[in-house]
Amino acid sequence: MTKALEGLRVVDIGGSISTEYCSKIFADYGAEVINLEPDSGFETRKYPPFINGRDDSAMHAYLNTNKLSVRKDKLRREILEELISSADLVLNNGKKSELSSISKGVFSDISWYGKGGDYDNFTGTDAQCFALNGMLRGLGSVEGPPIIPTGYQAQIIGGMAAFVGSLGQVLGVELGNKKSPTLVETSIYEATLCLTEVGAVSFFNTGLEGRRLGVNRFAPTYPLGVFPCKEGWIGLTVLTPSQWHAFCKLLNMEHFALVPEYQTSLGRLQDIDTIEPVIQESLLTFSANDLFYKAQQEAIPLARVPTMEELLEVDQFIERNAFTYAILSGEQRIKVPSVPFRLMDTPPTFGGYVAELGEHSERFNR
Amino acid sequence: MKTSSSLKGIRIIDLSMGWAGPLAARNLADLGADVIKVESCENFDWWRSWEATQEWIDEDGAEKSPAFNSVNRNNRNITLDLSHPEGRELLLKLVGRANAVMENFSGGVLPKLDLSYEVFKKVKEDIILLSIHAFGSSGPWEMFRAYGSTAEQSSGLPHVNGISSDPPMMHHIAYGDAVAGLNGASALLIALRHQAKTGKGQFIDLSQVESLLPLVAHGITEFTANGKEPERNGNRSEFFAPHGVYPCEGEDKWIVIQILNEDQWLSFQELVGAPMQQFGNLEDRLSKLEDLDKTISEWTSSKEAQKLMYVLQDAKIPAAATHTMSTLLNDPHLNSRKFWQYLDRAVVGNQPNPSAPFKVNGERLPIKTPAPTLGQHNQEILTEILELNQKEIDRLENIGIIGTKPKMPPP
Repeated sequence: MTKALEGLRVVDIGGSISTEYCSKIFADYGAEVINLEPDSGFETRKYPPFINGRDDSAMHAYLNTNKLSVRKDKLRREILEELISSADLVLNNGKKSELSSISKGVFSDISWYGKGGDYDNFTGTDAQCFALNGMLRGLGSVEGPPIIPTGYQAQIIGGMAAFVGSLGQVLGVELGNKKSPTLVETSIYEATLCLTEVGAVSFFNTGLEGRRLGVNRFAPTYPLGVFPCKEGWIGLTVLTPSQWHAFCKLLNMEHFALVPEYQTSLGRLQDIDTIEPVIQESLLTFSANDLFYKAQQEAIPLARVPTMEELLEVDQFIERNAFTYAILSGEQRIKVPSVPFRLMDTPPTFGGYVAELGEHSERFNR
Repeated sequence: MKTSSSLKGIRIIDLSMGWAGPLAARNLADLGADVIKVESCENFDWWRSWEATQEWIDEDGAEKSPAFNSVNRNNRNITLDLSHPEGRELLLKLVGRANAVMENFSGGVLPKLDLSYEVFKKVKEDIILLSIHAFGSSGPWEMFRAYGSTAEQSSGLPHVNGISSDPPMMHHIAYGDAVAGLNGASALLIALRHQAKTGKGQFIDLSQVESLLPLVAHGITEFTANGKEPERNGNRSEFFAPHGVYPCEGEDKWIVIQILNEDQWLSFQELVGAPMQQFGNLEDRLSKLEDLDKTISEWTSSKEAQKLMYVLQDAKIPAAATHTMSTLLNDPHLNSRKFWQYLDRAVVGNQPNPSAPFKVNGERLPIKTPAPTLGQHNQEILTEILELNQKEIDRLENIGIIGTKPKMPPP
């Protein structure tokens, strides 16, 4: 067994960013993943960004390497039923599906808000999840408006959570702890609460409500954020007293190192108007790259903050194959992120071919 | 159908601290795994505090951290001084009775304790070790230090967010931790499935920064497919209008409104009435964004955000009020779905606990026990799993290998 999820069959009937991210991890680790698409294709085929000069979605390509594409309308009914009933896992996007009753394994539904509850019928978006989970209100300038995170971040997080729920149940069946059929329902909104739940529980205990402090300012940690250097951007996080002492030395501001009030991150945050101009001035004398390596040698967790172009050239990511290729018809390749974790004895597949709509329909009708 | 525990019979030894590792462990504990968290009285989980003082210890500060308590539920807790040969030996005995070990120490900590995948494998041939490190367990940055914030800064994510006149914008104080936690749980489940099928364990290398790259995929592929760095346009979209966050009645109250198709636009136009009639199709709206946003802001600013959200959603218009930490606990949707499970916890009393974000057969996964106190299960684990007698346990306590109170680390 060279792939850890070999032998599992996953059928995606939902075709959302969340179902496709969830099934992507299954595909990367060796499961057979079949996209059962409507004749117009999954919606994600129409999601930006698009590939220059083609109609193809780059996002769809990233999410759908090493999967099979079958057009539902091209399958005979008995073949369709056999496909669904033979699947260990069927992934759906929350919309009502007649196929749910045919599933004999785990049927996993990923919707914006989950079934039932006040927002059950709401139209969902990524931005809504971040608004409701409390994260959005903390982003942006003090006067506002809060700034919406871009892309498909909530849906990807939803797909990650659904993977845990889905494989958890599939494994439960294989271990003999669970009986199928099993229904798993993941709420994307609730999945994003892993980012803010600690804040809510803290409020419950302290009664203290945080307010928006400005771009890249997050209580109680200071200094923390992204700052300009002579060349490039540097990410700061200085938390412990020893990191603060080393950071002051690094930035030639040792007069701050032992100030009693500055020994805690909250104390530093409260005197930000004094400290920040000195930090900013000092940072402008370094290149971000040089400062990053110097800081890390002193065990201070600073970061280079790369643009997309720079990200692809980071030696750490190149050495670890953090990026791979999605290969489309006509041998067009685009660079995409690899799987974020590596099982060393059963490694994932890095990248691969992106099937055209219905490319594998006939294989199943035979 | 009754929900039973999927991972019944699986035991995880959790050496991790902070957020990423414990969140991964929590996911497995919620699914029914027996997660045993190992701390020591001197090297306790830094999420209890990274600024500990004697006064904090005396006032039971270690048991009052909402952050620690919210991610360590459903597990058991033992203290073992791993720097002492006997403590280390006891850990290895526990590993010998487990399916997996997980850790997220800074590089160098495990070797200093003479612990590694090879050492664990010697005591349990099929053991799984999950190592969660900021930049992964290989490469030139392998030993570099980082928090969840450092991971976000390093992932490129700030360069796809915010407004171009501001610095690249971070989202969160520890985005890289929570997301790595979900990835850690996924990785462990995959390895556990392989272990169940083949009887083989393995080492898992998880990079927190790489865990965030899927969230930047739209920016990365914009560059790799088109050679364009993503523009940072704040709340504006090149495809949709209106698309923004608009002020509501009261201080710092806002609502997100995103019109994603022309049907939604017509509903919105009808709902708002006269002020919206000056704007036409998408092309027209995209050419008048300043006016459009100003007009909508004038309309929303006299309305209560939560009520307006329901009005807009009733008309099938995507909208959401911006919650705060206090309103999150009272969110009617979460409450009707019983998302917050309240449990009584030693020292801090009744506490809200967030549920797993998925239901199984219509039921919430149960939160059976709140976060344990430091060393709460020393006795239980040492007798039931390691089969020590009371005299041996008392001796371990006397020489400080186990305990239930933090100690100030040496200066």
